[in-house]
Amino acid sequence: MKNITLLFFLFFLPILLIAQPPKGFSAMKDTTAFKQKMEAQSKTTNTMESDFTQEKYLSVMSENIISKGHFCFKKTNMLRWEYTTPYTYLIAINKDKMFIKDNGKVNKYDINSNKMFKSINEMMVATVQGNLLNNKDYRAKYYESDKYYLIELTPVQKAAKDFLKNILLFISKTDYSVEKVKMVEPSDDYTSIDFTNRKTNQPIADEKFTVK
Amino acid sequence: MRNLLLSSILALTLCACTFGHYGRLKPDAKSWVKPPASIFGDNFNSFLFKTNIRVYGKDFSGLLVTKQMAPQDYRVIFTTELGMKLFDFEFKDTSFTLHYCVPQFNRPKLLNTIREDIQILLMNDIKKKQAEQFADAKGQYDVFRVNDGKMFNYYFKEKSTDQLVKIEHSKKHVKKIIFTLSNYENGFPTNILIKHYNIKLKIELNLLKK
Repeated sequence: MKNITLLFFLFFLPILLIAQPPKGFSAMKDTTAFKQKMEAQSKTTNTMESDFTQEKYLSVMSENIISKGHFCFKKTNMLRWEYTTPYTYLIAINKDKMFIKDNGKVNKYDINSNKMFKSINEMMVATVQGNLLNNKDYRAKYYESDKYYLIELTPVQKAAKDFLKNILLFISKTDYSVEKVKMVEPSDDYTSIDFTNRKTNQPIADEKFTVK
Repeated sequence: MRNLLLSSILALTLCACTFGHYGRLKPDAKSWVKPPASIFGDNFNSFLFKTNIRVYGKDFSGLLVTKQMAPQDYRVIFTTELGMKLFDFEFKDTSFTLHYCVPQFNRPKLLNTIREDIQILLMNDIKKKQAEQFADAKGQYDVFRVNDGKMFNYYFKEKSTDQLVKIEHSKKHVKKIIFTLSNYENGFPTNILIKHYNIKLKIELNLLKK
C-alpha cells in the first residue's frame, strides 16, 4: 500500500508542480475585467518610451549578461529598440520596414519578406504593448500578486516550442503597464527585460523610427 | 579557347587561396617544444564578445560567451543581442558536444566551420601536443607549428611583447584561415578577426567583458 502511495505521488508530483502558480502568485480572480482594462489601456496609448535593462541567464555561466538601452513605440507599428551599453545595437521597425544598425552599418529589410523578421516584429510590438494575450500562437494563464498581474504565455506551435518554453509578462496593478518580460527557453535559461522611466503619450517624431 | 578557360579557372582558384610564407621560416634550435598557452588561460574565466559573422554577404551578429568549466572543458554559447540562444557548444579534451542549436542556424557546413574556428582559437586540443618552433625571416616572431589532422596551425608570438598575434591554419603552403589577435589589454586581445580564404567567411570578436 505504501508503495502504491509512493508511486501515485511520484507520478502526479510533476503534474502538481506544473499546475502550481509561480511563487508569490495565485490564480487571477477576474480575467475578464483584466483583459478589458488591458485593451482600454492599449487603445489610449499612442506613444510610449522607456529605458530597459536586459539580463541573460545561462545556467553554465556564473554571471548574467546585462545590457541596457532605450525603446520608443508609436502607433501604429513603429518601434525603436536601442542597446547603449555595453555595446551599441539598434533595431527600428517602421510599419513594414525593419532597420538594423550594427557596427555603424545599416541594413534595411522588408518585414513581409522574412518570416523570422515578421515574428520578431509581432513579438516586440506585442510585448511592449502587452497585447500578446489575443495572439492565437500562445496559450495564456493568468495570475496575480499584491503588486503585479502575471501572464504566462506558452507557445502552441512546434516551431516556437523548439526555442521558447514560455513568456512571462509582469504587469503593474496600478497602471496596467508591462514592467518586466521574461522569456524562458526549453533549457530554463532565460532573458528578462525590466522597463524603467516609462513615459506614455509624449510626442515622438516619426524620424526616430527610420535609421540612416 | 580551352586553354583560356583552364587558365581562368586556375587563376580564380589561386585567387581564392593565399600562400603562406612558411618557406622563409627557419627551424629553431630547440625544435620540439610545448605549444603556446591558450589566450583564455586556465583560470575558469568567462569572456563575453560582441560578435559579427559575415558569410557570403549575409551578416549575423550577437554575443559570444566562452567559459572554462574544467581544465580541459570549455563551453561556448552564441546568442542574439535580444537574448535568443543560437548555439551552445562544448569542447572537452578532443571531443565535441552540440548542446543546442536553433533550427535556422543548423546548417552542418556552417556549424562545422564555426566549431573548427572556435576550437583553433581555444587551443584546448593542442595542450597535450608538441610543437615545432621556427623563427621568421625578420626575427619578429617565434612561430610554433602544431599538427592539426591533415593541416597545420602556425602560432605567431611577437618577440617584443610575448603576445600571440596571429594563428594561421594551413594546408602545405596554402593559408586557409587567419586569426588576427590585436589590441591587447591586461594580457588579452580585445579584437580577434577570423578570416577564411577558401570560403567567404569572416568572424569578428570584440571583447566586452572578461
